[in-house]
Amino acid sequence: MKKYWKSPEELSYGVNTSQEDKFELDHKNAVIDLFEKDIPEKATSRRSFLKLMGFSISAATVVASCKRPVQKAIPYLIKPEEITPGNASYYASTYYDGTEYGSILVKTRDGRPIKIEGNELSRISAGKISARIQASVLSLYDDVRYKTPMISGVDSDWGKTDVEIINKLSAINKEGGKIVLLSDTVISPGTIKVIDLFKEKYPSLEWIQYDPVSYSGMLVANNKSFGKQVIPDYHFDKADLIVSFSADFLGTWIAPVPFTRDYSKNRKLDNGKKKMSKHIQFESGLSLTGSSSDKRIPVKPSEGKVILGNIYNLLAEKAGAAKVNVPKSRIDINELVKDLEMHKGNSLVVSGANDANTQLLVNKINYLLGNYGKTIDLDKPLYLKKGLDADMDKLVSDMEQGKVSAILFYNANPLYNFRKKEKFEKSLDKVSLKVSLSTSPDETSLIADYICPDNHYLESWNDAEPRKGSFSLAQPTISPIFDTRQAQDSLLKWAGAGMDYHSFLEQTWKEYIFSLQEKIANPKEFWIHSLQDGVFDVSSSNETAIPPESIEIYGPVDIKPAGEGLDLVLYETVALGDGRNANNPWLQELPDPVSKACWDNYLNISPSFAEKNGLQNEDVVEIAGLKVPVFVQPGQAEGTVSLALGYGRDNTGKVANNVGVNAWPLVTLVDGAQQLSIEGVSVKKTGKKHSLALTQTHHSMEGRPIVRETSLEAYIKDPSSGNESHEEAERNKVTLYNEVKFDGHHWGMAIDLNACTSCGACIIACQAENNIPVIGKEEVKNRRIMHWIRIDRYYSDEPDQPMVLNQPVMCQHCDNAPCENVCPVSATMHSNEGLNQIAYNRCIGTKYCINNCPYRVRRFNWYKYVDNDKFDYNQNSDLGRLVLNPDVVVRERGVVEKCTFCTQRIQEKKLDAKLENRALRDGEIQPACVQTCPSEALVFGDLNDPESKVSRMFGSERNYHLLEELHTLPSVGYLTKVRNVKAEEINDAGHDKHA
Amino acid sequence: MNNSFVVQFWKRILLGALLFMLLMAIPVAIFVSVSENTRDEEKAVVKKDYAGDIKKGQRIFFGQADLGENAPVCSSCHNTVEIDSLNWYPSSYEIGSKFENKGLTEFKKAVLSPSTPTMKKVHATLTLTDQDVTDVKTYLDQVAVDGLTPKKPVIKNTLLLILLTIIIIIAMVDLFFTWKVKFKVIHLVVILLAIAGQVKIVSHAAIALGRSQDYSPDQPIKFSHKVHADQNKIDCLYCHTTAEYGKNAGIPSVNLCMNCHILVAEGKISGKYEIDKVKAAYINKKPIEWIRVHNLPDHVYFNHSQHVGAGKLDCTECHGEVEEMHIIKQVEDLSMGWCIDCHRTREVNFNENRYYGDYKQLHKDMKSGKIKKVTVEDIGGTDCAKCHY
Repeated sequence: MKKYWKSPEELSYGVNTSQEDKFELDHKNAVIDLFEKDIPEKATSRRSFLKLMGFSISAATVVASCKRPVQKAIPYLIKPEEITPGNASYYASTYYDGTEYGSILVKTRDGRPIKIEGNELSRISAGKISARIQASVLSLYDDVRYKTPMISGVDSDWGKTDVEIINKLSAINKEGGKIVLLSDTVISPGTIKVIDLFKEKYPSLEWIQYDPVSYSGMLVANNKSFGKQVIPDYHFDKADLIVSFSADFLGTWIAPVPFTRDYSKNRKLDNGKKKMSKHIQFESGLSLTGSSSDKRIPVKPSEGKVILGNIYNLLAEKAGAAKVNVPKSRIDINELVKDLEMHKGNSLVVSGANDANTQLLVNKINYLLGNYGKTIDLDKPLYLKKGLDADMDKLVSDMEQGKVSAILFYNANPLYNFRKKEKFEKSLDKVSLKVSLSTSPDETSLIADYICPDNHYLESWNDAEPRKGSFSLAQPTISPIFDTRQAQDSLLKWAGAGMDYHSFLEQTWKEYIFSLQEKIANPKEFWIHSLQDGVFDVSSSNETAIPPESIEIYGPVDIKPAGEGLDLVLYETVALGDGRNANNPWLQELPDPVSKACWDNYLNISPSFAEKNGLQNEDVVEIAGLKVPVFVQPGQAEGTVSLALGYGRDNTGKVANNVGVNAWPLVTLVDGAQQLSIEGVSVKKTGKKHSLALTQTHHSMEGRPIVRETSLEAYIKDPSSGNESHEEAERNKVTLYNEVKFDGHHWGMAIDLNACTSCGACIIACQAENNIPVIGKEEVKNRRIMHWIRIDRYYSDEPDQPMVLNQPVMCQHCDNAPCENVCPVSATMHSNEGLNQIAYNRCIGTKYCINNCPYRVRRFNWYKYVDNDKFDYNQNSDLGRLVLNPDVVVRERGVVEKCTFCTQRIQEKKLDAKLENRALRDGEIQPACVQTCPSEALVFGDLNDPESKVSRMFGSERNYHLLEELHTLPSVGYLTKVRNVKAEEINDAGHDKHA
Repeated sequence: MNNSFVVQFWKRILLGALLFMLLMAIPVAIFVSVSENTRDEEKAVVKKDYAGDIKKGQRIFFGQADLGENAPVCSSCHNTVEIDSLNWYPSSYEIGSKFENKGLTEFKKAVLSPSTPTMKKVHATLTLTDQDVTDVKTYLDQVAVDGLTPKKPVIKNTLLLILLTIIIIIAMVDLFFTWKVKFKVIHLVVILLAIAGQVKIVSHAAIALGRSQDYSPDQPIKFSHKVHADQNKIDCLYCHTTAEYGKNAGIPSVNLCMNCHILVAEGKISGKYEIDKVKAAYINKKPIEWIRVHNLPDHVYFNHSQHVGAGKLDCTECHGEVEEMHIIKQVEDLSMGWCIDCHRTREVNFNENRYYGDYKQLHKDMKSGKIKKVTVEDIGGTDCAKCHY
């Protein structure tokens, strides 16, 4: 048996490490902290006993004498037709925050949005959304949001603000002063029209789109190669060989959700498929994408470029094209190139480097491989990430020279995420009018003269064109909670347009977008139809795009050899991205898919670097002037360290302020493009410690065979390879008791380990659906994280070059559940549909069930997390509690909770079937995690129905259950992970060296 | 054994028992009174440009002032204390509130030249001077602030409890000090029975705590289900439109009321007063704040469409004979036991509804005659997570 391990400590010292002992001690101290410090020391005297008794009796009397409050039932004055009190209404809308796009359905209950779900009509996201979009509903109910317009930091009203701004803008316009609108990438055709209108009124307007994490290099390269300054669309489903150079396309690169969906399509082996894509990842820090790959090669960022150059040269040699000057790479790429040549037209090479030269090389490689028009689509490019880095530097120099008279910030926060923020701030002194259109406080709005708060996107009208020809609409699902106004409305007002954005948008759609189709003849009907669908796609007669004529690599490209020093790699995390949503506690508490840490950023170092420098987890080091704790990350490339962006915010709100360090100032500019990798840094020990909230050593399954994997080669020979112990477990399945038969339904879930990328969308979806509290860093450190679903991550092989396996684990709903028969009060028991249920009101908190659950999926409410100042997150304010799902109970202190397979959703759909007098359809019931999973790794259904998808997956040779030898009979099945490698790479490389 | 020690010992026991009884009495008294719900409203006193004699006004209202032989007594129709039964005529509080911010002339016009037939008939013999009107109005303004005289609290359980405590004390005193009754068994039996009685009262009160069987608060409008559902034969679902397909049965919105009441402006018995409130709500765009009668705890999920739409239950099975109620009342205790009792015996539409086709074994058993009917329990209707999640 191959050895799997969860942390380097476990690998070297075995399971019971000194760290674990330390944890136990901390744990005890934390329990004592529960009470006032002096109580446990004092002996209880008769006096204090009487005091306590007297207090209890009088308290009981007071409580009992409170008359039950009269509850009012206030019906509508005039009931809107589409609303049924107590039933949810869904509105199609669009999420776009400047970095990520998603076509969504907003679930509203009694007028308030409570959950975001994917819109299945969308051709881009197809009903799937990421953790960040799932969490975005919470930011609507953020107390910190601006509540009124402000003038110089003082609350004001819209009338006064508008008059002053219009006067100042007109004056500047008259003098011919320059007005700058600084925004992130705008993908809304309506907004672009608004800006055009604004420009008509103020001709001196310069509009700059600024992306903190920019794709400038790619835009420039594509412009040079194809004359199109765009980001192409990638079809990962059509690629049989994917080679990625530091592009975290499943986690953060361009459009991770659609990419994940496409990618997993070609990774699944359902219905007896024997073919899957091969994915090779060259990268420095271990990313989510790297952890899903078949082969991951840790390299320095500069080395990646050298390898690309070598690959190009080998391909160019055969094609007879010009070569580039490049040093020989230390990694043998002959086989890879052979493989690439075998996959002409169905391979894909991508690079995450923001460097035009590298991207030109990538373009040329893909061109030589004939991938354009097949796996890369330039005809229907993505309109995300349009910002050019050079524009920002020009803006700063313009401001320094006093050329800019007014600046409007719309979704742009350069004083946090611009690399030279001090310079930017200083140059702002010469700008006489600074207006911020920010929804909530940020570093930039702090210095603004006028704050004209934008609505939250759930309160706004908008549209989007994320990909050429794919449009979508956003509609408000709640009236503005505060006295805020949509940014577009503000711009229209200042432009003197005399109409609001809603009618403007409707008009734009009726005029321009209506003409792109012929199906609907009436513009009004078209508008209503599009609004209802949320999306509109221009039907194109020919789906395949035509490859471009020819491409050139401009100029002689010399690639420098990789540097010797230490490289720092800055990266975006899956949860926080560039940090614009940092004030969202759900995202802050989402464990990183790889490190499983939350509430901090940290410097990832490789195990060998740690050993060499005598560093341990949580040691604070100084790097480029920043003091950060280190985290020993297996798989971190030799000679590199990496640090997450998006942390270290201030003036953002109580959740985000002072969490982690701000790494943006470390970004550098090379060849006019912002670089997230910095060469030649040094790390200095400080001797201090900073504790990290690691969920990594939590929930350890103590080294039992839980994840099973095999190679594609072995799988083709024998589909049950890697899953041999399943057969044995099935054989040993004997019991003294009668086998339980479920009549009607028997709910089950199948999880395809081949598809799961551990993106964490399921965790946040579950949190939103089931009212799961946020508990904060200290409590996470105490191993009390409340998430009902977690994703376990296991490493195998060498710590410096590990293979990674991800496994989502939630309550397994065992038919022979160990938790059920230890509950002294029968609070947890089995339903006739195979669900392991728990009645919170019956639970007295003995935690026996937690102790007896071999899967560690039960959670205990150590505190009252609602209305408790010690847990000052969303559930502590009236506004924040509006996000709660009224169909799910908010648990009290002292009770155990866990995954219910979203019973409320099962009941809802069953009822729908009954009311419609029909049988339930397979796939109709989707727990929140299943519904959002971008890779469709989770499948839920009725095991009693032999035709259901879940039954078919349970019948697969790859299917096994967690710890099935315990005879717990789980209702959750896992399909073995199959890697597209040769058989010996799995079985021989897996060794017992560390056992 | 030392005699004084024995006395000391029993004294302590007695003292302890007494203390226990007293302590018990407090929460129990509270338990008993809790089952009533009260409404607390604060009112600001508005300054008036007239000032009459409150006492005089009150005397007129109660018929204690001489207004002539045939003059009607206001309080005989307009009640001044809270009542359980339905009185269509507005109470003194309601009149006071309605005219609180209106002038004297308006009030006088409403009283002396009424528009509805009933009022015309009754008020015909009413003669009031301007001073009388001012006095009555002043009195009613005060009533609008003070509210109606509350009902006297019912204290039968508390009395019984105190009585039992006294019996126990007497029995104990006789047992240890006076020795009037020879056989000590009698003392013990009396004490035990009395304690048992107390436990019964307390436990019943405790079980009923949080439930509100027979709750029938005064609603802001004297809406009579009897008039609507019985006399006018309006179907429940006409107003409670979402009962068949929604989680909530739905309290009708005011626009639904106005479907009829745009024409029906006056009731045969009730007159205009109550219907005017509905109209006022519609015109002033202020929704009516009904008092919610049927409340379930937050940890219970209840869905009307499951019972009415899918289960085809009749409304009366849970809500009682609503069409006989002038004031709506919670008939059942809505306890879990009550729910489960029904789930255990109630048959589901097993053969009619195609949803149940998935229950293959039950269908087989039904066919073979092994079972006669399928109850809610048979398909898992008593599982915890069917209602608690």
